Amino acid sequence: MISPIVYVALATILFFLGGAGFLFRRNVLVSLMSIEIMLNATNLALVAFNRLHTDSHTGQMLTFFVIAVAAAEVAVGLAIVISFFRIKRSVRTDEADLLRN
Amino acid sequence: MNLFFALSPFLTLALGALLLMVAEAAAAGNGRGEKVRPGLALGAALTCFASCAAAAGVWFYGVERIEGLDVLQPWLIIDRFTLFFAGLLALGGGLASLLAGGYLPEHQIERGEFYALLLFSTLGALILAAAGDVLTLFLGLETMSLGVYALTAFRRASPRSAEAALKYFLLGSFAAALLLFGFALLYGATGHTDLAGLGQAVKTIASGALSGQAAGPTTLGAAAGPLVLFGFILVLAGLVFKVSAVPFHMWTPDAYEGAPTPATSFMAVAVKAGAFAVLLRVLLVCFGDKQSTSWANGWPAVIAWIAVLTMTVANLVAGRQESAKRMLAYSSIAHAGYLLVGVVATSRDGTAGTSGILFYLLGYTVATIGAFGGLILAGHRGAEAVSFEDLAGLGRRHPAAALPFALFLLSLAGVPPTAGFFGKWFILKAAMEGGFSVLTVVAFLNSVLGAYYYLKVLVYLYMREPGAGAPIATPMKSGYVNVALAVSAFFVVLIGLDPSRSLSVATRAAASLFGG
Repeated sequence: MISPIVYVALATILFFLGGAGFLFRRNVLVSLMSIEIMLNATNLALVAFNRLHTDSHTGQMLTFFVIAVAAAEVAVGLAIVISFFRIKRSVRTDEADLLRN
Repeated sequence: MNLFFALSPFLTLALGALLLMVAEAAAAGNGRGEKVRPGLALGAALTCFASCAAAAGVWFYGVERIEGLDVLQPWLIIDRFTLFFAGLLALGGGLASLLAGGYLPEHQIERGEFYALLLFSTLGALILAAAGDVLTLFLGLETMSLGVYALTAFRRASPRSAEAALKYFLLGSFAAALLLFGFALLYGATGHTDLAGLGQAVKTIASGALSGQAAGPTTLGAAAGPLVLFGFILVLAGLVFKVSAVPFHMWTPDAYEGAPTPATSFMAVAVKAGAFAVLLRVLLVCFGDKQSTSWANGWPAVIAWIAVLTMTVANLVAGRQESAKRMLAYSSIAHAGYLLVGVVATSRDGTAGTSGILFYLLGYTVATIGAFGGLILAGHRGAEAVSFEDLAGLGRRHPAAALPFALFLLSLAGVPPTAGFFGKWFILKAAMEGGFSVLTVVAFLNSVLGAYYYLKVLVYLYMREPGAGAPIATPMKSGYVNVALAVSAFFVVLIGLDPSRSLSVATRAAASLFGG
């Protein structure tokens, strides 16, 4: 049996990969995907940690809610990206430069 | 029945939002393909005020007398702290919908979903303030945030609105992911997602007594400590983002400037208050161990630095703005800094610090809604007042529109005897008595510095004339906005003239957080 710690390590790596993708890529869709990777890393961590705390299923239960909320978040996010694309004809974040000091 | 009574502030909002969606769908057309929507704003505002009244009803009936609230444990905590925030957030939501009732038709962007989104967002903020478990906390946070993202993007034809929503959405989701991963790590280290159990377990781990206990996560052993620390840092980063404190404030001016002004006022008021409610609960319930001298209690120093940075940076940058709306955005960041001073003070005297924060939020809510309302009132269709130049000479030409605006700015600046002055007074007093004298002095100097840019608006209102050829601002006419301004002005003056009554309410609410 693989130790849950291995899964937690994988989750942490995924989380930082997602974070790096969010911070360094300029494409909005890639940013959205990076956020999804971070949320899925969280799910993996929650499920793995649940193996350490076997007296309840809190971690797994929380995971279901995170999946549902992430879906809702993507729905709103894509709608915003579409409305941005309609105006700018671009999905790059460096095109978003109207608002600044 | 008891349960329904205790949850009535939440249920009122949910029911009202659903009814508004039905009403919007059933609204009759006027024959030209446009829908006629008389009174959707009124419906939204009445729903919010009903929710506020419900919270007051439960408060005065005595939430301690209501039996059977145990079934909500640990998901929702209905105590006086929650009820205070329920009333405050519902008041903010109601005033914001009144502003929307004037602003949206004037600028021809009225669509019914605005009010439904606003009510659902308010409901999310209420759940956030009542959350006693990571699950409800996350659900409340996302319900609130998703609604506000959509409100920010509401002006679909405007590039600024789309850009603001995009930035807000991306950074907000990123912060939510940080927060959630932090809580996942805390769950791994402790086995708890309920805040109370989490707090107990953190206490055990931090005091190093874990080794002898079989109930703890034995496989983690010594790794539990670093896991808690790392998780806490991520959770704190997520929460600090939501209250828009430096260094996580970058989204605030853009989102505030690009959003339709009623949505901006809602963000400045309800999102901030909801975030402070959950920040207080997480810090004080999970990490508020006065006896412990371990690193788990090291957050006051961190928050103090964040507070100093937030106040100073926001005040310096706010003074350089040309847009009054953007200036108000930076001012809301600065106010987050003053509130964080209160959070630091809670580490010594929890009740005094918390009651100062609650009082401050009350005064801040009405004054901020009023200030944005004044900005809305100063413009009209096709010529929204945004920059300082737009406001030039308004006080001479339209004294009735400029006078309430001036009052709210004075309250935000903290001039006595307004609500804002006493808010700052109670927070600084709590910080001083907690022994944070350097922090108090910095906060005081900052509030003097901050007065500069509020007075700059007053100078434009009363002492400048619009330049030759510049468009001359004409105030719009709207009963909704007038009512919102009147209610806000009433509270600003009332709280300023009789601060002791509001303070005693805030103190009772704060005491319930500490089991009083």
